[in-house]
Amino acid sequence: MSRARASVIDAERGFVLHLTPFRETSLIAELFTREHGRVSAVARGARRPQSKLRGTLMEFQPLELAWFGQGEVKTLARAEWLGGQALLSGRALLYGYYLSELLLNFVAREDAHPGLFDAYERTMARLAAGELSPAVLRIFEHALLREAGHAPAFDRVPGGGLIRPDRQYALLPEQGLVDVSHVGAHDDSYPGSVLLAIAADDYSAADTRRHGMRIMRNLIDRQLGDKALHSRRLFQELLQA
Amino acid sequence: MNAPEALTELIAALRCLPGVGPRSAQRMTYHLLQHDRGGAARLARALDVALGRLTHCARCNNFSETELCARCASSQRDAGQLCIVETPADLNRVEQTHLYHGLYYCLMGRIAPLRGVGPKELQFDKLIARACDGQVREVILATNFTNEGETTAHFLAERLRAHGLAVSRIARGLPVGGELEHADTGTIAQAFQARQPVV
Repeated sequence: MSRARASVIDAERGFVLHLTPFRETSLIAELFTREHGRVSAVARGARRPQSKLRGTLMEFQPLELAWFGQGEVKTLARAEWLGGQALLSGRALLYGYYLSELLLNFVAREDAHPGLFDAYERTMARLAAGELSPAVLRIFEHALLREAGHAPAFDRVPGGGLIRPDRQYALLPEQGLVDVSHVGAHDDSYPGSVLLAIAADDYSAADTRRHGMRIMRNLIDRQLGDKALHSRRLFQELLQA
Repeated sequence: MNAPEALTELIAALRCLPGVGPRSAQRMTYHLLQHDRGGAARLARALDVALGRLTHCARCNNFSETELCARCASSQRDAGQLCIVETPADLNRVEQTHLYHGLYYCLMGRIAPLRGVGPKELQFDKLIARACDGQVREVILATNFTNEGETTAHFLAERLRAHGLAVSRIARGLPVGGELEHADTGTIAQAFQARQPVV
C-alpha cells in the first residue's frame, strides 16, 4: 500500500464506483483506480446535456482517468473509455452494485491496492461476459477481505499448522480458524475440506458454494457491524418476487 | 446584529431547491423582497395551492388535480399500451414526439442500489397492478439508459413478463443526425452491441 501525494495524475486505469449529483450540473465520482486506490473527484459539467462525460463516466466500465488537486476531493480532468467489454446488463448490474458497495465500505481513500484492482477488473470482465455464478462474487469477496486484512488464511490455523480436510473448524472473531475439538461445538464452523477449497478459490463443489457464502457473509458483517448493505437487501427483494 | 428571523427563515427555506446553496438562496430572497414582491406573493400562493390540490393520479402516478388525470381519463388514448418513465419530465419528452398514443406510468424515480431505493420505495406493486388491468397488451420500458435505469428496466421486465405481459424496451444507440466521428465511445460501443438486422 502506498500513499499518493502527487497533485496531477495524467493517465490512470480506473472504474467509477458511485456517482452523486453535485451543484446544478456536476457530479462527484467515487473512483477506484489501480495505482491510487479510491479517489473522489468532481466531474464539472458532467450533467450538462451535451457533456462528453455523459456516455463515458459510467459505473462498471474500465476507464482511463486524469485528475488534479491537493484536497480530499480532486477535480476530474478527463475520462476516456477503454472499452473491450460489454455493458453490464440484467442481474449482472446488481452484482456490480454489490461490489461497488463493498469497495466503498472496505477501501479507504487514496490507499493503493493494485492486486485488488486487478481482481475487480477480472470480476467486471466476467460479469460483462454474462458469467453470473455466485463463485464470481465469492472470489472477489475473498480478495477484498484478504487485502483489507479481515480474512483468515483459509488453508492454515493461526499457529501455522495446515487445515486438515477431515476436521471441522470454528471461525472465532479474535483467533481465526480453530479446530472445534479445542473449543467445543460452535455455530460458525466449517469442514476443513471446504476451507481448503475456498483458499484455492475453487467453488466446483456444492458444499463449498453453500459454506462459502456463509463464511464470506459472516466476515463481511463482522466488519460492517450494524451497518446493512443496501445492495444486499435489494438483491433479496428483487430476486424473491 | 442578527438578521430578522423571517429573512433567515426564507433563505433557509429556499435552500431546499436542488442546486441552491446559501449564496443563491440569499440572492433569491433579496430579489423577491426588494424587486419582485408581486412575484413573491404569487410564488407563495402557487406553492400553497399546489401542495393542497395536487395528488398522484390513481392510474399513471403523475401529478394530478383529480383522481384520474386528463390523459388517463381520455378516450383518445390507446389503453393497450403502457409506457413506463422515471419522471414527469421524461413523460413530457415522450409526449413531444406526437408519435405515442398509449398511456403512461410514472415511477417518480429509479432503482438506486447504493442509496437504498428499491422496489418497495418505488411501489412496484402499484405499477404491476396498473399493468394488469386486463387492457394493457404491451408495456414499453422508457427508463433512462443509465446503469440505474437499466437495472430498473430489467427487474420490471422480469416481473411484468411473469404476469404474462409483452414487454419492450426503447432502443439505444446513435442519436438522430448523429455522426460516428462526433459520438462518444460508449454510445458507439452500445450501438454496435445493440445492432439490428437490416430488413
